[in-house]
Amino acid sequence: MAADFACKTIDPGNPAGPMTDAIFPGTYTLRLYKNSPVDYENLRAPKYVLEDPKRIFFGVRVFNQGGWCYTGHPAEWCIRERIIVPFSKDRVFAVYVNPNMRVYECRAEYADPQDPACPIQWQQRYRGLTWKSTS
Amino acid sequence: MEKHFLADMMAAEGPSRFRAEPWYNPDGDCIIYKTADEAIVADRIDELLTVYNSAVDNRPIGFQIKGVHAIIRKFGLDGLAVTSQSDAAGVKYISIAALLLAAYEEGEPTLARRRAYAAVMEGPVQRRTISADELQPA
Repeated sequence: MAADFACKTIDPGNPAGPMTDAIFPGTYTLRLYKNSPVDYENLRAPKYVLEDPKRIFFGVRVFNQGGWCYTGHPAEWCIRERIIVPFSKDRVFAVYVNPNMRVYECRAEYADPQDPACPIQWQQRYRGLTWKSTS
Repeated sequence: MEKHFLADMMAAEGPSRFRAEPWYNPDGDCIIYKTADEAIVADRIDELLTVYNSAVDNRPIGFQIKGVHAIIRKFGLDGLAVTSQSDAAGVKYISIAALLLAAYEEGEPTLARRRAYAAVMEGPVQRRTISADELQPA
């Protein structure tokens, strides 16, 4: 059984405070490694986004209280085995973490044309913006 | 490309091979199903269904059903189970189509939602059930 992997990121409960750990669960990473090689390769993208987020949203799920969505733009990603391409500017990479800061979903989404650091229709999908990068 | 940050952790885990099968993610309380080993761009349909489109050519190659335990609480395992596929040990298998129909019932009956749910149900699904035993919450 693969161990969990901890990645330092901004604490969504206290963005100005010390960094906190986001956990890539071992069960999740092992599942991707064994059964979904492209998704496993692309775990580089959520690690990058957690380390350099551009936006953090709260209220991401209707039936599961809590949790956050971190977004950012990795430079490149793997779209098919051994095919690495630049990450498209009209997309944004989203990393979803549950209230225990455990990563459960990592994926590209269509970006909001008004603010490409946000997923499209983020105002309807999430309850709000927790934090925004100024860089 | 530089070494994967999990490479050392996975070194003892043997070979990697794509498998098109639905699986339950307890940390997200969601079922994920991908039918091709390609990167995806998510197209959120509603609170419960997200369609995965291929980043290669934009064709649909999977989906995510969220709020699985809320759906089960509402409809009951028996309401979603495929009784003919219970095995000798009494393990129930949950119908993915039944879960999708239950998720559809939770939202407004719009044309866009109906089309999206229909497209998912007509897609190249290779496995149509998931064992109820797999649906253990985190």
